[in-house]
Amino acid sequence: MSAKNAVLGLVIERPGYGYDLARRLQDRFGSSGFAPTGVYSALDQLSADAMVRSVGQRRNAGNERAAPRTIYQATPKGVDHFEAWMLGSSSLAPVRDELYMKIALSKPDNLARLIELARSQEEDCLARMQSLRQPSDGRGGAPKAWSEVAGLLVRDAEIKQLQARVEWLQKARAIMTRLNLAHARGGPARGDRVA
Amino acid sequence: MSSKARLELDRVSKSYWRGPHETAVLKDISLSVFAGECVAVWGQRGSGKTTLLKVAAGLESPESGTVRFKDQNLVGMSRAGLVRLLREEIGWARRSGPESNELEMLDYVALPLLKRQNMRRARRRSAAALARVGVAECSKGRWEDLTDSERTLVSVAHAMVRQPSLLVVDDPTANLDVLQREEVMGLLRSTAEEDWLAVLITVPDMPSMVHAHRIGSLSDGRLLVPTGASPERDNVVDFPARGRAAPGG
Repeated sequence: MSAKNAVLGLVIERPGYGYDLARRLQDRFGSSGFAPTGVYSALDQLSADAMVRSVGQRRNAGNERAAPRTIYQATPKGVDHFEAWMLGSSSLAPVRDELYMKIALSKPDNLARLIELARSQEEDCLARMQSLRQPSDGRGGAPKAWSEVAGLLVRDAEIKQLQARVEWLQKARAIMTRLNLAHARGGPARGDRVA
Repeated sequence: MSSKARLELDRVSKSYWRGPHETAVLKDISLSVFAGECVAVWGQRGSGKTTLLKVAAGLESPESGTVRFKDQNLVGMSRAGLVRLLREEIGWARRSGPESNELEMLDYVALPLLKRQNMRRARRRSAAALARVGVAECSKGRWEDLTDSERTLVSVAHAMVRQPSLLVVDDPTANLDVLQREEVMGLLRSTAEEDWLAVLITVPDMPSMVHAHRIGSLSDGRLLVPTGASPERDNVVDFPARGRAAPGG
């Protein structure tokens, strides 16, 4: 999935310049895997397809010498495209992961290293979870506006994916640890032949 | 720079026996909870979360390690001392509600105060506690008529009515939908910050952890705490005056 539709959606919500859109993309989609620089290639593509256009430039108020910023706005064609995308079906992302591949192709001798890898991935997941935590904004209570609820649902989906990942890593680690002990002792263990 | 933790578990281990098999539930767990922060521990079912909470609140004793609460080691403390702490300093939110369904929530939340105060004063504080957690409208209600999130909040009010300095809640977000969860977690966080309380909770799923100041994951008896500085923790330490001014700090 490219950042194209996400950037188009953000431009429709509110016209903006490249850096502003990159920041909004990061705020809204956090760890979805969009590189901030992806915004610029998305804007180039959208401009080439006449879905967004430049509506003049704005100087940076804080720095007169800085290069002026190009403000982008959606064209009617862009709005049509976005609405069609909103109505279209959404595909399931493919599950492709290097650790899965390593486990699938590993031998019992690799278990100790795989256990380490699983542990370190679990730490990475928790660190990412930590980065998704709510900043202290002094606001209590449930969100009221749909935009807030929508943001919450998307964040939940991301965190739930991390959780599923951590749960799987913990279970995989437990089994690999057991088999590795049996392997080290040279004795057969259930599942050893499979490994 | 360092400030003393209100609750400090140091290398705590505990195991259970099932027949001839010993299962280690907690292995060498160290965890601190400071005043003014909410710490959330996530773990899969059966990972030992509730055992960790019970040990932290002095309800169960570990086989090794220390549990320090405000400079007192709960491990090996006399039963009378523990009972006093549990009555006055440690709020354990009971999820089961009152024994009798006849009780109105105003009276249920007032119950922990009745040994020391008359009914009228106890009710006044109960009403304040219910209002504090945002469920003043439940004061005339009965337990079986409350929603899951109202029950959680009433349980928190019941645990907080004596103004403890440590609040312990097991699975406050169980069975809640996204919006109810936000409300309950937002409240636990703001309670920690505004009432200068140390809050330790367990959560059944990770999205519930977003409002916590610090998080940890329990699996295989071990607690994994994400590495990296916790800037919010530093902020809390930077305001010692707030701790002195606040009640119970």
